[in-house]
Amino acid sequence: MSSTDDLIAGLAAEGVTPASHALRRFVMPLVAVSVISAGFWLAMLGKPFTAVEVYGPVPMMVKWGFSLPLVFGSAWALHALGRPGQDAHRRMLCLAIPFALAAVVLAIDLAIGGGRFPGATWDRCLIAMGTFGPICFAGAIIATRWLAPTELRKAGAVAGIFGGSVAMSAYAPFCPELGMLFMTTFYILPILAMAAIGWLLGPKLLRW
Amino acid sequence: MNQGDPLDLLMQRTRNGDDAAYREFLEQAATRLRSALARKIGNDGELEDLVQEALIAVHQKRHTLDPGRPVAPWLHAIARYKLIDHWRKRGRSPVLHEDADVAVAEDEFASLDVEALLKELPEAQAEAIRLTQIEGLTGAEASERVGIGLSAMKLRVHRGMLRLKKVVAEKDG
Repeated sequence: MSSTDDLIAGLAAEGVTPASHALRRFVMPLVAVSVISAGFWLAMLGKPFTAVEVYGPVPMMVKWGFSLPLVFGSAWALHALGRPGQDAHRRMLCLAIPFALAAVVLAIDLAIGGGRFPGATWDRCLIAMGTFGPICFAGAIIATRWLAPTELRKAGAVAGIFGGSVAMSAYAPFCPELGMLFMTTFYILPILAMAAIGWLLGPKLLRW
Repeated sequence: MNQGDPLDLLMQRTRNGDDAAYREFLEQAATRLRSALARKIGNDGELEDLVQEALIAVHQKRHTLDPGRPVAPWLHAIARYKLIDHWRKRGRSPVLHEDADVAVAEDEFASLDVEALLKELPEAQAEAIRLTQIEGLTGAEASERVGIGLSAMKLRVHRGMLRLKKVVAEKDG
């Protein structure tokens, strides 16, 4: 009997039933970091959505309208990237839509004068993105490692987008700042930075 | 799913709790992995190590194969990944296989009923794709089985894959 036959015998003896909770194992770390991020800001800053009472719902809708599709879209893309042989390109392309729309809205906003910049709380926003972006990125890496990604740079970049967009979604309800220039500088650029970090670290962090 | 592929049938039996089918599945997977990997690294001492590494990956990551999805593209993607990882560890940077267009196509067709799509191709091209991409034979083995030259076999696979892409695009469109 060859060593490969021995190996097959050993693997077959381990049982045939794959884990039935495969999807839950993938989703759990993503949900955990999202809850931790939102819970932290709720505990630190108290009542959310105070800016909505002053400026109306539109600024909040723009922020979440950008970040939440990225949260769910990047998780959806990661799920495909983690399954060998599955085409994830279309899902990844979908992630470009919020960025393209944000670019259009930024152009319109700048054309009509834009909001105040950089605003009074820009440093808090940057801390939120700089702290929780990497934490949520780590959650996405743990989730993806449970799967079997074969395109590690792409998976790393998408994990970075997930990390950044969750950090933004969690902090946005407490952010009083307005204007697309603010959103681009303190939210979108950090998300892209996280994607770049993920692209660079993906091959190291996701190798299996 | 390609109902004609023995691996798909074995995986289905495996999921229904047939222990013996899983062992048979791993044996057939090992044969296909060996055949696919031998095309890339030759039949040297490293081949069996790589086959074993890929088999362990197949076993450990079997939860990433969704029920209903064909096994072959999933298996080949794992083999490709382990091969690239193997080259990376060895510090080599080979030009990836000559049939890179085929690799891309495998991903594109991963979620489709390949056997139904193959029926839309001329039989010679469908047979060439079946032998090289589903059964995992080398170009030389496939050409020998059909009784044509290696170049003719490669041409059939290439034309078949192009035609297959067109069929898929037409269905999507």
